[in-house]
Amino acid sequence: MFLKRILRSVPVIRDASLRSNDFSRNKQILSAKARTQCQYSTQITPKEEPSEVKPTEHEHNAKLSAEITKQLMQFFDEKDNWGAQRVRVGRAWKKEELRIKSSTDLHKLWYVLLKEKNMLFTMEHECKAEMRVLPNPDRIDKVLESMYNLEEVVRERNKAYHLLETGETGERPFKIVFNKLGLRSFYKLWEHIVPKELHEKWKNHIFSYSHNETKNFLKLYREKLWVKKRRSKLQERRYIFQLFKRFPNVDKEYLKELYPDQDIEKLRQSKLTASHLQQKAN
Amino acid sequence: MRLFPNLNSYRNYKRFVGELTKKYGNFPESFLRRRIRQIEFKTPRGFPQYQPRTIERQNFYFGQHRPWTDEFRNQNSISSKTRIIHVEPIRDWSFFKGDRVEILEGKDKGKQGIVNQVVQERNWVYVEGLNCKLKNENKTKKSLGIYYQDEQPLLVTRDVALVDPSDLQPVSVEWRYTEEGEKVRVSKRTGRIIPIPLQAEETLDYKTRGTYVENKEKDTGEDEVLTITYEPKLKTFEMEIMEAMGIVEDRIPKKTYWY
Repeated sequence: MFLKRILRSVPVIRDASLRSNDFSRNKQILSAKARTQCQYSTQITPKEEPSEVKPTEHEHNAKLSAEITKQLMQFFDEKDNWGAQRVRVGRAWKKEELRIKSSTDLHKLWYVLLKEKNMLFTMEHECKAEMRVLPNPDRIDKVLESMYNLEEVVRERNKAYHLLETGETGERPFKIVFNKLGLRSFYKLWEHIVPKELHEKWKNHIFSYSHNETKNFLKLYREKLWVKKRRSKLQERRYIFQLFKRFPNVDKEYLKELYPDQDIEKLRQSKLTASHLQQKAN
Repeated sequence: MRLFPNLNSYRNYKRFVGELTKKYGNFPESFLRRRIRQIEFKTPRGFPQYQPRTIERQNFYFGQHRPWTDEFRNQNSISSKTRIIHVEPIRDWSFFKGDRVEILEGKDKGKQGIVNQVVQERNWVYVEGLNCKLKNENKTKKSLGIYYQDEQPLLVTRDVALVDPSDLQPVSVEWRYTEEGEKVRVSKRTGRIIPIPLQAEETLDYKTRGTYVENKEKDTGEDEVLTITYEPKLKTFEMEIMEAMGIVEDRIPKKTYWY
């Protein structure tokens, strides 16, 4: 499988690894169970015994604890990357790459990414606690981006199925409604067992505005927005004057595309575009 | 590209940072945005009594340093103020790293060199070993300190012109399409194609795209990424997974109402 490579081999804890000073806090967490195993291995030399003999309780516990630590260490990065300057990794999964993959593959990849995400967040937390720098913090963004892309691809597939079968997208429906302040808001519908008419609590729900206070508020609110817009437009105008003044050969067609609200030809003829250094070129 | 500096940086961060700069960094966009932003105060999210508001730095100074570096952060420290810098908008950028250019103004006028670094936010280009300034560091009464030549930026629209590879003369350039549909730079005088150099591909991770070595434990190989395993079926994602895992669902859902 193509996923096999991403699944990293989990480092087995040995005596040497526990002695290292890289993460002393880890050691404290893991020490209680890991040390018992070490003591056991040094004190008693392993004998070749027939397999029929039942392991003692102590032996059984030691094995179990070793396994638990092995599982828990999957929350941490490989030991080589702990103090690394930079971990070389590729980019995130793109949508077009995920669209080729079958659903089972995507399902597996999701858990691989989830595991990686958990690992990166624990490493980030641990690095903060130990006053160290996490190598390549952009790895977190890469994993999150590919998880987002994967979810989008799954949604696309489900949408296509539902549109073909039922004529609807099959997603949670939404409406754009007015709230009590009179502003438009995005309302996601909820699923109910009881219909609307029989729902007693629903009668108190208001999707409209009628008071004079809200009307007054809306008037002032719109004025505020308009003033903001006017101010930004004036600032743009001033900026364009300066552009003409400094760069008389500036591309006018491109300026028209960038600032569609402004009349560029009219601004060009203004006195404010004149420069004391250069003559007008166009 | 920094076109209009007074707008909110978060809304228009794509305008601020040049595309070539993003390409060189090879970072995900969310990371770059997170790295640049300087948030002073943010209302707690997810509570009805707070509106989603942030107070953050709006204007940034873009210079020689890349926006993800610590130098950039130091230049745009909290106490520093930025003045408006006017940058001529350019539709098609035609200067890349590794290009041979001729300098048209300054003390090295008429000399040709190779482009070292491109700063698209300011329409700047640095040419290797040319247009330098003598600088001094660590000078005391006893010692002379260290003297070194520091390359100074050149404006793309005024100070520099690309060189035609056929006759090594400065030319103005146009973007055209070939018959295969490729977009190429063509010199206006001779009509010859000026190829984009290999150095333009360089990022923080690799020099050229072909020489990138995969991390065997973390990366998925190219062949495995490109293999097609998808077979279209009349099923949703969940139905396919349930079938693969052997889960059977017989229950009939009750009728529900959406409102």
